[in-house]
Amino acid sequence: MDKKNQDIWVGMAHKNNDPALVEAAGKEFVELPIIEALSDDKIAEVPANRRDFLKYLGFGLGAATIAAGCDVPVKRAIPYVTKPDEIVPGVATYYASSFVKGGDYCAVLVKTREGRPIKIEGNVLSPLTKGGTSARAQASVLELYDVNRVKNPGAVGENGVVTKMSWADLDKTIGGKLNASSNIRIVTNTVLSPTAKKAFAEFIVKYPNAKVVTYDPISASGMLEANERSFGDRVIPDYHFDKASTIVSFGADFLGTWISPIEYASAYAKGRKINPKRPKMSRHIQVESGMSLTGSNADNRVLIRPSEMGAAIATLYSALGGSVSAPKLNNKATAAISKVAEQLRGSRGNSLVVSASNNVMEQIMVNKINEMLGNLGSTITFTHASLQRQGIDSEIQGLISEMQGGGVDAVMVLDANPAFDLYNSDKFITAFAKVPLKVSLSYDLNETMALCDYTAPNHHFLESWGDAEPKRGHLSIIQPTISPLFPTRQAEASLLVWSGSANYKASAEQPYYEYLKTSWNGFFGQQSNYASFRSFWDEALHDGVAKLGISEREYGTVAATVNIGQITSPSNAEVEIAFLESINIGAGQYANNPWLMEMPDPVTRTSWGNYLGVPVSFDGAHSFVGYKGIGQSMVKGYADVVNLTRAGAEEGDRITAFPQFGQPEGSVATNLGYGRKICGGAGRNVGTNMFPYLSADANGNTQYFATNVAVSDIVDINYDFPCVQYHHTLGVTAKNEAGETINADEAALVDFTYGVVDQGYQGSLTNRSVIYHTNINELSEFTKELGHKREEAQALNAQSLYPGHEYLYENGHHWGMYVDLNACTGCSACTVACMAENNVPVVGAKEVSRHHEMTWLRIDRYFYGDVESPNTVYQPMMCQHCDNAPCENVCPVAATNHSSEGLNQMAYNRCVGTRYCANNCPYKVRRFNWLDYTTADIFPANQIDLNEEEIPYGADNLTRMVLNPDVTVRSRGVIEKCSFCVQRIQEGKLTAKREARKLRDQDVKTACQTACPTGAIVFGDLNNKEGELHKSLDHNPLVYIALEEINVLSSVNYTAVVNNRDEALDA
Amino acid sequence: MNITTIPKMKHFLPLVLLFFCGSLLAQAPNLAEGKALFRNNCASCHNKSMKDDMTGPALGGVEERWEGKEALLYDWIRNSTAVIESGDEYAVSLFNTWNKSKMTAFPNLTDEQIASVLGYIDDVYVNGPAVVNGGGDPIPGEKGDEAGLSTSFFVVLFLILAILAVALARIISNLNRMAEMKEGGKPGQVATLKDILTSRGVIGFLVFALVIIGGFTTVNNAINLGRQQGYAPDQPIKFSHALHAGQQQIDCQYCHDGARRSKHSVIPATNTCMNCHKAIKKGSLDGTAEISKIYASIGYDPNTDTYMENYEEMTNEEIKPIFIKYATETFKKDNATVAKYADSESKLTRDADEEAEKQWKGIVASLTNPSKEKVSGAIEWERIHNLPDHVYFNHAQHVSVGKLQCQTCHGPVEKMEVVQQYAPLSMGWCINCHRQTEVQFASNEYYEQYETYHKELKSGKRETVTVEDIGGLECQKCHY
Repeated sequence: MDKKNQDIWVGMAHKNNDPALVEAAGKEFVELPIIEALSDDKIAEVPANRRDFLKYLGFGLGAATIAAGCDVPVKRAIPYVTKPDEIVPGVATYYASSFVKGGDYCAVLVKTREGRPIKIEGNVLSPLTKGGTSARAQASVLELYDVNRVKNPGAVGENGVVTKMSWADLDKTIGGKLNASSNIRIVTNTVLSPTAKKAFAEFIVKYPNAKVVTYDPISASGMLEANERSFGDRVIPDYHFDKASTIVSFGADFLGTWISPIEYASAYAKGRKINPKRPKMSRHIQVESGMSLTGSNADNRVLIRPSEMGAAIATLYSALGGSVSAPKLNNKATAAISKVAEQLRGSRGNSLVVSASNNVMEQIMVNKINEMLGNLGSTITFTHASLQRQGIDSEIQGLISEMQGGGVDAVMVLDANPAFDLYNSDKFITAFAKVPLKVSLSYDLNETMALCDYTAPNHHFLESWGDAEPKRGHLSIIQPTISPLFPTRQAEASLLVWSGSANYKASAEQPYYEYLKTSWNGFFGQQSNYASFRSFWDEALHDGVAKLGISEREYGTVAATVNIGQITSPSNAEVEIAFLESINIGAGQYANNPWLMEMPDPVTRTSWGNYLGVPVSFDGAHSFVGYKGIGQSMVKGYADVVNLTRAGAEEGDRITAFPQFGQPEGSVATNLGYGRKICGGAGRNVGTNMFPYLSADANGNTQYFATNVAVSDIVDINYDFPCVQYHHTLGVTAKNEAGETINADEAALVDFTYGVVDQGYQGSLTNRSVIYHTNINELSEFTKELGHKREEAQALNAQSLYPGHEYLYENGHHWGMYVDLNACTGCSACTVACMAENNVPVVGAKEVSRHHEMTWLRIDRYFYGDVESPNTVYQPMMCQHCDNAPCENVCPVAATNHSSEGLNQMAYNRCVGTRYCANNCPYKVRRFNWLDYTTADIFPANQIDLNEEEIPYGADNLTRMVLNPDVTVRSRGVIEKCSFCVQRIQEGKLTAKREARKLRDQDVKTACQTACPTGAIVFGDLNNKEGELHKSLDHNPLVYIALEEINVLSSVNYTAVVNNRDEALDA
Repeated sequence: MNITTIPKMKHFLPLVLLFFCGSLLAQAPNLAEGKALFRNNCASCHNKSMKDDMTGPALGGVEERWEGKEALLYDWIRNSTAVIESGDEYAVSLFNTWNKSKMTAFPNLTDEQIASVLGYIDDVYVNGPAVVNGGGDPIPGEKGDEAGLSTSFFVVLFLILAILAVALARIISNLNRMAEMKEGGKPGQVATLKDILTSRGVIGFLVFALVIIGGFTTVNNAINLGRQQGYAPDQPIKFSHALHAGQQQIDCQYCHDGARRSKHSVIPATNTCMNCHKAIKKGSLDGTAEISKIYASIGYDPNTDTYMENYEEMTNEEIKPIFIKYATETFKKDNATVAKYADSESKLTRDADEEAEKQWKGIVASLTNPSKEKVSGAIEWERIHNLPDHVYFNHAQHVSVGKLQCQTCHGPVEKMEVVQQYAPLSMGWCINCHRQTEVQFASNEYYEQYETYHKELKSGKRETVTVEDIGGLECQKCHY
């Protein structure tokens, strides 16, 4: 066994040829350990045993018989009294708005049905996000219908319980406690809204001693300060990833979480999509210590321990000619970085170096590096600088000491949660308690809100008016899409009311709307496209975005000087830990969103918690071992639990650990944001809170790693590990007892002792075409080889089991899809979009650990290449809509069958749940409803499994408002799967028919396609020769079909992955 | 394409049916076509019996009435307006007799098609409805043609077999007795009725019959579970479609404006009613009693002809005097000249008060329910057409694209005082219609996608393209 190989693998058990994996992969449905379930102490609480079941059954039969003799219940049809002009029941209305949460921003279109927002789409008119979305933006609509929202203004009791008050009473109470000289602090995360800032300013006019304290839980404070010192401008520059041919990122997860990931991913993908005729792609080198989404997309990763980040930057700086003596870095990284420096020099002016470091001096060095490389003004500009991070760590730290000293009279907390997401939250909490008046303006239940005296709950953004300026000169509108569900009030409005602003006319029908409009009157003068304010405003409201003419700002030189003494010095600790912002739930702000909780982390493939990624090492002879032997039983759905301790803590945290390829030796990594204590039901006590592990550097900026930790040996086993890595595996090869390569997912078909054939079982291939990958330098050879392989596969397919069945589809439509794996970054926006569009249920951690996740679209993650620092492929895998579908042939009731448009149809009301189809699906994309996940009529016996919620997620009436009325809500006992968004196909066709014209590409777009920030998914009619799909596939030598050799004639095409890895960096 | 398991059965099935149905199926092919055309195009206005009038006249004997002017009849069917304008005496008199309502034009029907419709009409008129296809039930899928046929067929068969069985049993028992007598023994006792009824054979047969009939009934009822053809509940307002759509000729889609652009046809909002009822304040049937309910729902004060401010906040007690006043005054005004009140002012007042109180009770009863205490707000109609949740149906597809008449599915609503569910709304009914209905292929550029069909139509290889041909029977056209 070699450390380096060209195989693809999904995890350590696969690499190690674990017999348990071979056995498990052969089964579509995992065999759940029944004995364990019975020994589960919860079983005693189950109110229904077998006898009860029989009673229910008997009663059910009886009831059904009686019901059969009765009339159908009366249903009511309730029309409007006065129908709003813009609503036609049954037809969706879209509103342009903006998703904003702290510094996270996405221009969106909100789809509403009968006045209910049900789906978020990207807004293509936005010059930033260009129609792309993120998983967080997609999931934000569910937050609107969160049952745990703060629903009333009032006084806050223990654990955030609110004693109701009227708004008038609350305003009176708070107004009575404030006076002109009060030292008031407004604590917020980054505020993008210029109008909100005007409201703050008015508040400060009334209370001159008031101050706004801005911080970000995942801070860019060091960078902002560095830029202020370098350029005199405290902003995040405008990065142009599309213009860079060499991208070096020091720990910046710009595709997943850093600053503006949607914008960056879209630009980045432009440099990564391959035109085989003129092969050219950017080279991306990631220097990091925990495998981030961005790192997994990189061509080369330079592995460092977290404390070596400063040293790594300094090494590059000095290699490029900076006059510093860099601290010692590990040898391999030192060598690699000197080669990186060479490459950067070679692409002067079109390279880009970014860093997520929160150390001022390290960021100044990064600025110096970009200056030396001539990137300032080319790949880094400042005119449209980003305002998406504005928080300064020292401000909130200053507030803590101020509060501790008793100098603060009142604190208003606006959508921030410092009692959870600061490294010294404990200090904040004690200091906060000394403030006489504490008011929360958040709409969600959180740790800080629970410590406040009063709550003045904010609207959700889908209920609000507002604006955002994510980048200088780029404005964006937030408009309400539904009347407030609860008696909440916009936070800005609350501040304006308390400040008694004359500009805020509380008696108006929509006072904050008037205020916003007045505020925008000021922007009208800054643009020249519209002659009247009315047209400017109307157009902005329609488009959702507006652009202002602003003066150019460019900085060519870096004013600051480098003082190497101020960077982090590498530690000698045995093990260090790196903390990453979770793609799913950020720093905890999104923790109460079941869609995001259930979405597997793209890199680790885990859901419902944060887990400790430990390095994998090769023993030199046989196998790969997780640090301290961790990860041996993962394939069975178990995982090892270790004790993680930090110096100074009384006791450690028990945390589930798993082996993570690409994790540097001597380091471990995990996600931040989990372990919320006061939160809605979905996020409460899920995972471990890592914020107490953080510390600050000499400048008071939070550092996202820790050196003072110890990882124990395995102390326990987690039997409910919700990791989907080994669920629904396909094309997994393994070695049988005789040492022959076999298809693990066919192993169950044949007796081991019988395995004498050398290629898989029953003469099948082991060389399965699941993923193809190559290096850009070998592209021409590779395309030839791929051509041969496809020819071979097609030759194998010449013999059909169904002679005479030809799939011509020359008449009408033939739906197909193209997924560009070079553009796919694995960000998972599509998986959440699919859940939202298709009413896919959330099943909870326990059910996920039992392989019961219901996602129609999953993103398979494969590694290949160097085991210590592998390359990664993300493969969105959905129903492939095979023309020769193996699922169809085995259905005894023809519940799944083929349409004349090439769709593999699923009729739920016909399905009897034999699951033969899922067993026969080579792509493992069919899902079975083991429980009635979305409706409330389930047996109480099943409910204990659903994360101890009394009713399962999504079964209450408020949450059910998010359901798409055009898609059936499936019940227990039926199979479901991707339908290519057939409801959208039908809708698009109907639009074309009604307008009596041909169907156009833009009429039908699937939910995953519209969600994708990089345009990796193209859906369309294969019969439309002018369509985008046809153009993408036509004569593209990189296109392949997954498992083409098994003759299922799938309708989804993938591109082979091309990397631009430089082997020299590995040496 | 790949509904694989039954292709062979497909060929076999008609043979089996033919075998069972025998000569009953023999008929001229154009009658079947005529029947289909009649159902799709004519049945919504013309009575299927051909002997009674409906929205349009009874069609029996139509050819005799147009004797000598066949060409004109064909023109009339394609476009009656043109014929009327041409001044044909009979055409004009027909037009006037039928309240000057125009017959829907069918410009696309070919001569052959019209001939087969006329053939079918004549056939039904002369021979009665049973002959064509045995059943002659005009609603597709209601019972299924074969089912109707085989029921009567099997009843006859059953009777014949039963008589045969009884006869054979008698013969056997007689023979047995004769044989016993021949052998010299005493003749066996003649079985009493009790013996016969308690014999194993009879009991066995009865159990068998019970199982079969019970099973049949159970399955049949199970299939019909949740279906409510003919469902005609009382509505909160006695809204008469016969008056609005029939007599007043208001277009269906004036009120049900969702039908052309949405999946829902949409129950009109109260403000749609107000478009007319701001002016028409008294109904021809119920006076102010029913129309006041509209006002009470939306907050329109009929005394002053204004909408009331903050109506939603008003309690029922605050609202009551407004409608009491209106009803009292209207009653008094209407009855001021009535003879019986001529000399008794107090009697008039008393009756007016009584009437007003009655009307208010009606308003409260209609507009409130346990979950809605106030009369203000939406009128909660009883929903008649209920499709299961797993069925996707889109009105716009059928009305705007398929250009179907509302009556095709909803029946002669313009004749219904109380609306009822006309069609069974079963899947078989949907499917049958999709099998028979032609797609509006020629007039819609969208269908240019279907190149093969266009070629086949041109070359004459294909005569029609039905909804089935473009995938109208596939599961995911309606279930997703």
